[in-house]
Amino acid sequence: MGVTVLQQYPVPENKTGTHVIELLTKRILALGATQQGQFLVDCESYLSHPQMGTTKTVHILHNSEQPASVFSILESGTKNIHVIADGLFDLLMMKLSHQYTSKKQTKIESKGPRFELGDFCVKLGSVTMNQNFKGILIEIEYRPCVMANAVWSLLREFLQGLLGPAVPVQPPQHLLSKMNEIYTPIDTIYQYLEHFSAYRKVTGMRNS
Amino acid sequence: MANSVNISIEAPIENQIQEITYDGQEIYQAPLSMSENLARLAQKIDFSKTDDEFCNIKKEGECSSDTKSEDEKEPGYQSSLWPWDSVRNKLRNALTEVCVLADVLSIAKEKRYMVLDPVQPEQQENRPMVQVYGRKKALGAAAAVLLAGVERLRASETMRMTRNMPDFHIDLLRLRQNWRLKKVSNTIVGDLSYRTAGSKFSQTGVFEVTKAPEEQIAQAMNAAGPVPSALRVTVPPELQGVAFISVLCQKEQEDVVTATLSSAALNCPSSLPGEGAELHWQQKLEAAQNVLFCKELFARLAAEAVQLDASIPHMVVGNQIMATVLPGIQLLIGLCHNNGQNTNNANPEGVKPEGPSGKSDHDHVLEHSLHQLLRAVHHSNTHHPFPHPATGPLGPSKRRCLAGPMAADRYELLDMSKEQSLLEQIIQQAQHFFMRRRSEYVLDTIAKEVKDPLIVSHWNALNSPTQSCVKINIMAYGYDAVCRTSLVVHVGEKTLKCICRDGKVRHLSYELQELRDLIYCQIYQHQMTAVQAVGRCMGWQLLASSSHLGSGPVEPLGNASSCLLASPNGDRMIAIRCEPSVGIQVFIAQSPRKDFFASELVQDKKWEHLGGAFKEIKLEKMEGKNFLNKMELLMACLSSPS
Repeated sequence: MGVTVLQQYPVPENKTGTHVIELLTKRILALGATQQGQFLVDCESYLSHPQMGTTKTVHILHNSEQPASVFSILESGTKNIHVIADGLFDLLMMKLSHQYTSKKQTKIESKGPRFELGDFCVKLGSVTMNQNFKGILIEIEYRPCVMANAVWSLLREFLQGLLGPAVPVQPPQHLLSKMNEIYTPIDTIYQYLEHFSAYRKVTGMRNS
Repeated sequence: MANSVNISIEAPIENQIQEITYDGQEIYQAPLSMSENLARLAQKIDFSKTDDEFCNIKKEGECSSDTKSEDEKEPGYQSSLWPWDSVRNKLRNALTEVCVLADVLSIAKEKRYMVLDPVQPEQQENRPMVQVYGRKKALGAAAAVLLAGVERLRASETMRMTRNMPDFHIDLLRLRQNWRLKKVSNTIVGDLSYRTAGSKFSQTGVFEVTKAPEEQIAQAMNAAGPVPSALRVTVPPELQGVAFISVLCQKEQEDVVTATLSSAALNCPSSLPGEGAELHWQQKLEAAQNVLFCKELFARLAAEAVQLDASIPHMVVGNQIMATVLPGIQLLIGLCHNNGQNTNNANPEGVKPEGPSGKSDHDHVLEHSLHQLLRAVHHSNTHHPFPHPATGPLGPSKRRCLAGPMAADRYELLDMSKEQSLLEQIIQQAQHFFMRRRSEYVLDTIAKEVKDPLIVSHWNALNSPTQSCVKINIMAYGYDAVCRTSLVVHVGEKTLKCICRDGKVRHLSYELQELRDLIYCQIYQHQMTAVQAVGRCMGWQLLASSSHLGSGPVEPLGNASSCLLASPNGDRMIAIRCEPSVGIQVFIAQSPRKDFFASELVQDKKWEHLGGAFKEIKLEKMEGKNFLNKMELLMACLSSPS
């Protein structure tokens, strides 16, 4: 497990998502990467019942990179609390359906091919919410390093090389405060949640 | 419910199978047509059963028709009769009965020929004394049964006491303390399998407990020996006798068949010490349990041998498993079971019993390891790591339980799912055993061959079944404080890891010539460093040294090394050249050279201080216990002012 950066890739007006994914695939294969299967990150959000006081949101996320785990993030105003559990947590949420109701129409996922290139692992994900295409998220992982600070410039260079100069590359909001801490899988999940929330707010495609 | 599922149930559209031919083809019966089906269902109706009262009245009239209808029932549905025949007959009988009933009723109604009178129910005799007598008689009979039983028990007990016979119930109690028993109708059966200890072997280990016949006990009492037991256990024939797992490591033989035969000749004791009948139940049950355990172990190993895909496939032939441990060495695991039913001489292969030398091939350590491995499997089947959640699944390892909350990635999960089979583990242990023995042999022979310097190897007493460690010290007698070279060799399953003095790590294969070469190189390296250390002690100066000389013939292993030492006042020099294939050569030179003559080219006298040609010293002619001692003497001799 190394440092991962999630980057949103703008889809031009007159192009489709699959076209952009194909373009990026060609680019990364030209660099010498090999495709290693598919990946999937999904997110489902549950709202607490109004009778329990202030409404809270629980996001349940799965990442195919950690197939045995279920990530849950509780949004409670100022602070986010996360819990990593094993697969049985999904069943627990079903039992809690009286207290937490699922917002089915906001189920969002990012899936696509997964490439390995030396120490890098690149995932080209197309984001869909209720089968509606919303945009493209690119995940880059540099596996040998666990400190974001030590590897950020390398990742930025790699990203700029891959995505071209048109895409501005900034460190993710979530990582800014923990550039000097050890990177853990939940940090990837926070980045996904950040982007997923942004996608949910926007109707149609998100390009900025 | 949102997640309810509709289930539709329907009869399978299959016809009844009439016949299965030898080639597996199934011939179906043609489905019944609607009319046939109706006829079949109508056949099932029992018209005679419909109304009991009706039947009672017409009992006499029915008798004849009953026999008739029974005759008709015999041919069954598929008979050549018309399908509605039995129905018609029954309906006709019914009609006859109804007609008779109508006639009787009409006659009775006239009241001229027949009058219907109510039948008086039989008066119940209600005399109390009769009841009392009856009860008294019944109680008396019951008491007599009990008394007779008590009398018999008392008689047998007194007889037992007088003749000092063993008590069945005390024995049963002892048996129960050690074995699982239960009563099934009239018999006592026990279970000697390892099910409760975590075994999942399908074969059962049921035995039966009976009372030994008194004559036999009396016989045994008369004969000298241990006190006989009053109960007898009967184990199933497949668990009788003696069994053990034989583990054999041997050189690979060209012919597989000979390998099997010679190993099949493993001696197996025909029966337990002592005769079968007189054997104490405890020993008998333990032996049977051992047979069951060996069978489970072998069955498991055989299944694994078939499943594993090794580069050289494992073979399972009869009661033998053959696996290749190292090139040229085979591991033979066999199940030897002698159930005492076939006599020893009736050995079909005509194998002569092997002597004590043949038996010593059997590897007791590996056999013990096999037992240990299976017991460990049993233990892990019943002992699940704590804590486990009440709702969670049982069985996964602790690491797997934590994998979810610790967010393990797919590689770690894949790593966790790998499990070593018993056969793989025992093969690894056998490999390690051979590696250890071979390294021991190599080290011992080198220590025997090379007297100077001394080679001392220390084997670590604490090791695992698949890893051990040896520390090798190279030093010269009397100079161990001056210089010693030590290296550590980790003996693994198929490789050796050598950690040398300079911190270099070398991985060697199972070919032990590599270890031998390495030790030889280390010996010569040691000699060179040691002579330099001795020189330092003597005040000599090291002018040059090289461990990899580029000059001279090419060495088969390593490189030649050399060093050049100068005496304290600089007038003598010693050159040492060491080639692993040749040995050590020592040369000396001195200045002023003795054979300096002024010539036309070199006229000045001062050039005699340059030092002359090197002359070789015959080391073997020198005094001294070993090379370092000789060098010390040489240095001492050369440093003294001559």
